[in-house]
Amino acid sequence: MRTTFSPIERVARGLFLAFMLVWSVGPILFIVMSSFKRQVDIFTYPPKLVFTPTIDNYLKLISQWQGFFNAMGSSLIVALGATVLAGAVSFLGGYAYSRYRSRLTSWTAVYMIAVRVLPPIVVTLPLFPVIDRLGLSDTHVVLILLYATFWVSLNTMIMKNFFDQVPYELDEAAYVDGASEWQLVSRILARLTLQGLAAGSIFVFVYAWNEYLFALIFTTNNAKTAPLILSELMGAVDGTEWGVLFAGVTLQLVPVVLLVTLARRYLIAGLTAGAVKG
Amino acid sequence: MHRRPRLTTWLYMSPLHLLLLTILTMPSLYVLWLSLNESSYGTGLTWVGLDNYRAVFQDGYFWRAAINTFFVVNGVVYVELLLGLALATLFVSGVPFRGLMFACVLMPYAISEVVAVLVWKMMMDPSVGAIARSLESAGFGMLNWSASPAIGLTLVGVINIWTHLPFTFLMIYAGLLAIDPSLYEAAQIDGATRWQRFMRVTLPLLVPTLLITLIFRLIFAFRMFSEVWLLTKGGPARMSEVLAVYLYQHGFRYGDFGLASATGWMMVLGSLLLASVFLLAMQRSMRGA
Repeated sequence: MRTTFSPIERVARGLFLAFMLVWSVGPILFIVMSSFKRQVDIFTYPPKLVFTPTIDNYLKLISQWQGFFNAMGSSLIVALGATVLAGAVSFLGGYAYSRYRSRLTSWTAVYMIAVRVLPPIVVTLPLFPVIDRLGLSDTHVVLILLYATFWVSLNTMIMKNFFDQVPYELDEAAYVDGASEWQLVSRILARLTLQGLAAGSIFVFVYAWNEYLFALIFTTNNAKTAPLILSELMGAVDGTEWGVLFAGVTLQLVPVVLLVTLARRYLIAGLTAGAVKG
Repeated sequence: MHRRPRLTTWLYMSPLHLLLLTILTMPSLYVLWLSLNESSYGTGLTWVGLDNYRAVFQDGYFWRAAINTFFVVNGVVYVELLLGLALATLFVSGVPFRGLMFACVLMPYAISEVVAVLVWKMMMDPSVGAIARSLESAGFGMLNWSASPAIGLTLVGVINIWTHLPFTFLMIYAGLLAIDPSLYEAAQIDGATRWQRFMRVTLPLLVPTLLITLIFRLIFAFRMFSEVWLLTKGGPARMSEVLAVYLYQHGFRYGDFGLASATGWMMVLGSLLLASVFLLAMQRSMRGA
């Protein structure tokens, strides 16, 4: 529907939009620009918008901060692992909740959402001794399991909504043609619910790539992820290393910023299916 | 069309419920047991009954953390809802370069809390930060968040809003798109002004979405940890702690698992209480449909 705005309204809308743009993008731009600045230019006031870019910070990052790249590798393993695990689990669960219903399934669905609201820090207390005893502390496996678990509830709801959109007549037709339930699910329905899988996967990937608390508690060395390393460097850098830190931060954030902005369509689809309808 | 579950149905659901049971449900219940015991990092339990709860309730730092949590959570969530509603309304009524603007507004969603704290810390640094110095020259005085718990927690709130506004905005935006456009046309034909259309058509139809968003955000803000821990470490003198930081300090710094577990169990109950409205509604719709 088209609406017309008076000049004053237009100015007000323009100002609000401009403020929201600076608010959202400004801090990110500040990081990325600082990573290409020489040390003396980073903290000039007012901030320099025009400067001679340098890649010194990146070269220094590569030559001196090997630990950061190991952590980026860890982050990638953990984020991909959690995405795949959560995707598989919520695909199967979403199918079951979409096609079958009884008093028991509806209660387990409510339970599934109820446990999702529990604060992550609470489960670290009982899991800490158990993970230690199983010899799993400081491994990627722990983080993958934790990250996937905190998303399977919502992603199952997302998948359920996408399965719901596939008419049940299709299932019946497949059964008449002699397909087994597994064949129906893995060959036919999987293809028709790919969008839901993509939507859910973005949430898990972004969360796992950026998470801090579990990484802080359950990793000490080998499995340290990029956010954890960055937080340590943030506390440790002395006056001369800010540019290098900004270079690291830029490398950490650019891939997910691209993912989120390019796949924004799926974010809306996922939120609509998982939260607004569910 | 729904069928009664069969044996294979439970098989399809089993990976899901196995994960939830072992990693979320059992640990959360075990926290209750831990909270009734003294232990060394969760091993060598000695029964102490309600002593941990008594200790928590007599601890001034716990009450400080609880009050801080209450103020930060409420401040953050309501500001965010208002901003999200304004922004979503703006986008629905049309903005130039829509796709690009949309992408820009979503960007903070992709940023780690660690990075968010880092950048805001830099920009708000009392001696070198660009925003801090602009605010100072605008007459707001030196905003020294590391010395004042109130300013520190305000900055925590700002960072929290910055990272989560995209979520709130998206939820409300999706809710707005779901409203049937013919309702607006009908209202317009009846001579309703734009403000009347917003108040009488949009807002009432948006109430369910706003409620869900509110509950989601309350629950998520309630567990806030990283922003506070990375910005102030709960200081100065433990004055800016929130509940999750209080729990972490006692569990993993002071080695007092009993006290931490008692706090944890109360956080479990608090979260479930916040979620109960939503869960009841959901249970009804799952059974009814």
